Amino acid sequence: MTNPPDERGAELRELFFETSQELLQALNEETLKLEKNPGDEEIVRSIRRTVHTLKGDSAACGLRELSELAHQFEDALSLEGTAAHAALAEIAFAAADVFGAIIAAYQGRTGLPSTEALRQRISELTTAPPIPHARRKKKPAQSTPDSGKDWTPAEKQAIAEAQAAGAPLYEVVVKIDPHCTMPIAARQMIQHAISALGQVLVVRPDTKSPSASKQVEFVFASENGKEEIAVKCHIPTISGDVSINPIQTAPLQASIAGGEMIASPTIGGQHSAAPAANPVSASSPGTPAAPQPPSNETPPAPASETAPAHVAAENILRVEAGRIDNVLNLVGELIIGKSMLQQALNELAGRYPKEPLRGKFADAMAFQSRVLNDLQRSVMKIRMVPVEQLFRRFPRIVRDVARQCGREVDLELFGQETDLDKGILDIIAEPLTHLVRNAVSHGIETAEERRAKGKAPRGKIRLNAYHQGNQVLVEVSDDGRGIDVQMIRNRAIELGMVTAEEAAHFTEAETLNLIFRPGFSTAKQITEVSGRGVGMDVVQSVLQRMKATIHTETHLGRGTTFRLKLPLTLAIIKALMFWVEQRLYAIPLNAVSQIARGFESEVHQVDNYEVLQLRNQVLPLLRLGSPLAAHIDRKSQKLFVLVITVGERKYGLIVDALEGEEELVIKALDDQTFSTDLVNGASILGDGKVVLILNLPAVVEHISHARPEAVGRANYGLLLNAADRARLALGAAGGRA
Amino acid sequence: MEQFAAVKRSKDGQPVRYLIVDDSVFARKNLARMIESFGGQVAAEAGDGLTAISEFDRTHPDIVLMDITMPQMEGIEAAEKIVQAHPEARVVMVSSVGYQENIVAALQRGARHFVQKPVKPEVLYEVIKYVMGEDGAVATAASTGA
Repeated sequence: MTNPPDERGAELRELFFETSQELLQALNEETLKLEKNPGDEEIVRSIRRTVHTLKGDSAACGLRELSELAHQFEDALSLEGTAAHAALAEIAFAAADVFGAIIAAYQGRTGLPSTEALRQRISELTTAPPIPHARRKKKPAQSTPDSGKDWTPAEKQAIAEAQAAGAPLYEVVVKIDPHCTMPIAARQMIQHAISALGQVLVVRPDTKSPSASKQVEFVFASENGKEEIAVKCHIPTISGDVSINPIQTAPLQASIAGGEMIASPTIGGQHSAAPAANPVSASSPGTPAAPQPPSNETPPAPASETAPAHVAAENILRVEAGRIDNVLNLVGELIIGKSMLQQALNELAGRYPKEPLRGKFADAMAFQSRVLNDLQRSVMKIRMVPVEQLFRRFPRIVRDVARQCGREVDLELFGQETDLDKGILDIIAEPLTHLVRNAVSHGIETAEERRAKGKAPRGKIRLNAYHQGNQVLVEVSDDGRGIDVQMIRNRAIELGMVTAEEAAHFTEAETLNLIFRPGFSTAKQITEVSGRGVGMDVVQSVLQRMKATIHTETHLGRGTTFRLKLPLTLAIIKALMFWVEQRLYAIPLNAVSQIARGFESEVHQVDNYEVLQLRNQVLPLLRLGSPLAAHIDRKSQKLFVLVITVGERKYGLIVDALEGEEELVIKALDDQTFSTDLVNGASILGDGKVVLILNLPAVVEHISHARPEAVGRANYGLLLNAADRARLALGAAGGRA
Repeated sequence: MEQFAAVKRSKDGQPVRYLIVDDSVFARKNLARMIESFGGQVAAEAGDGLTAISEFDRTHPDIVLMDITMPQMEGIEAAEKIVQAHPEARVVMVSSVGYQENIVAALQRGARHFVQKPVKPEVLYEVIKYVMGEDGAVATAASTGA
């Protein structure tokens, strides 16, 4: 093999860490089921199976602590009466947690967590039920004499008959390999092997005897020679020393009584065996000794009648995500290459409009871009995984949180089969968990409260995922108490986050967005409205980082829904490019709902905001450009306005000129050269131009944060402040370098 | 991983073909690696007993490595069914210490051998050689190029 041993071990461990997560998940799921159907033996069996696999896998990786613990738990699970144990589900949950912690410790190479508590709980299982633990493995004390040289009448009869038939008799003693931990199975194998050569008349000792694990003795009639028997009895990993002694016709009692046969395989015996082994001429072709094939009863059944319906032969590859990212990256480069080619072609067309080759080039280009599209889609599909991978962890979380805060909650999952980029799935795991925990602890009321309100005592939390256009929506809804918008407003004013006048103009959606502000979260307990805000800013910032948005919908007394809008992929976006002050920027095309023209004269001033009336809607304006430029030649100045949607609100983004739309491959900008959340990344166009991709939610957010400062310069409406513009410009310059 | 002299089929010198049956992906992978180090070839894998039977019919492997505890159909039953339909099938049970009775039962139903988890390559290698018997040949060092 090509891999050195330790590298192979490391790779195996990696695989183990990966697969063990699935096992833990299965354990959690099974335990949840058990909790709902206490005492269900079938479920307990499948729990045991899972623990068993975990034990086996971890042992194969040499993770001794884990395999021992799993072993202990598995043993406890196999006891009779365990299934009925009231605390079994509790203990299984605890075990899943401890197993998880141990695995994490192995992975992080940190100290192993204490397992004492779990061990104790497991031992509860083995001691609590009144049923004496009949451990399957332990054999009752010996019931028969150790090695029975005193044959039973039936055995004597058999031996006598075989002798009469003229078959040579042997006493065969096979020591069982001391390393073999399954002596009974070993014995079975040996017996099996030997019975292929002749007729086994007597087997000693009894399987229940303690010495059964050390050796097995046969009296055996066979036409085969000693050598063959010896070969047959020598089974790797099963048998140790073998001694074979022909039994003379004479008093068998005596010849067998020797006891210590193994120690003295007499040479005399060997000699006498030789003639006896070739009885071809002499005795009859011994009927009793006819070799018997191991499983002789059933004739070979016709090879299964039903055509093997090509069973999915588990054709699954496990590939490191980095490799796929690499391919995706290359696809991105190809797309840049395509636009370079397109650009060159356009130039060519301009220079030689009559060139007949142009058509051929255009055809080839069209073909290439079609294939590229397919390629891109296929590669992206590789990265897609069903959200079920994420959803499935929630039943356990909901259960735990519900217990902690004394709620009764049912969790419903929908749309688990919806595909999402694995990277995105990993990123939203934390914010989503946060939302779900909050929904249980703060959204859902206590059973009494609910009854008082005329609701069902059990609260309901619903997770849903579905595609919408080029996005995936994930919703967390509860049917709890809802959020009191007025209370949030008051609290925000109290905290000095907004002024009373500002707050008065806030729509409900805007007010709700306050809960995602960092300041809000650190607020001390807001009862009723709840600590809903705790850590919500984290949710928000994680989502912003990947162009996702969150929308809150709440009905007082009836519940709250958080709706996450996620991009399908992080790597490539369809973007609209435009110029502002000689710099090229891009925004995701799906954020743009309309492109309009207008005049500066149509811009109005409302409460320090610049707004533009466009047909029947009034848009707050966003200017990326500097205030000075906006001043020049006002009134007559024509404006390009991009109507963009951020969250649930529309804004008008004023740009100098449009460049066009294009698929952009997002190149991450490393934090050192460029640290702003206003930009998601950059991309390189076919002609080598660098375009900065704006992170719209952050831009909008930023501008609203900058509000207090901007108040003084009422004329410029929602403007990026000078520092922000400098940062953007710097980024563009840096990207070009 | 240690180097083993390749065990080939004596009739045609081809690699011994295996069907690996285990509900743990990990265990399957682990066994597959060992098998490859013996110069063998994984003909198919199955995660449960039912699949094992159909995969056996499809691929006719030389050796089946069969786990005991699996969902759908347990290893013993699958082994029994396979051996009933194909008496020549060489089924080797793979299981942990605690399952001795099951191993005994499987052996009584036609399994040829067993190895204990965690499987040690050198043990499995000996078992394979034994189970293949005259149908297997240890290639000399020179011919193990592939």
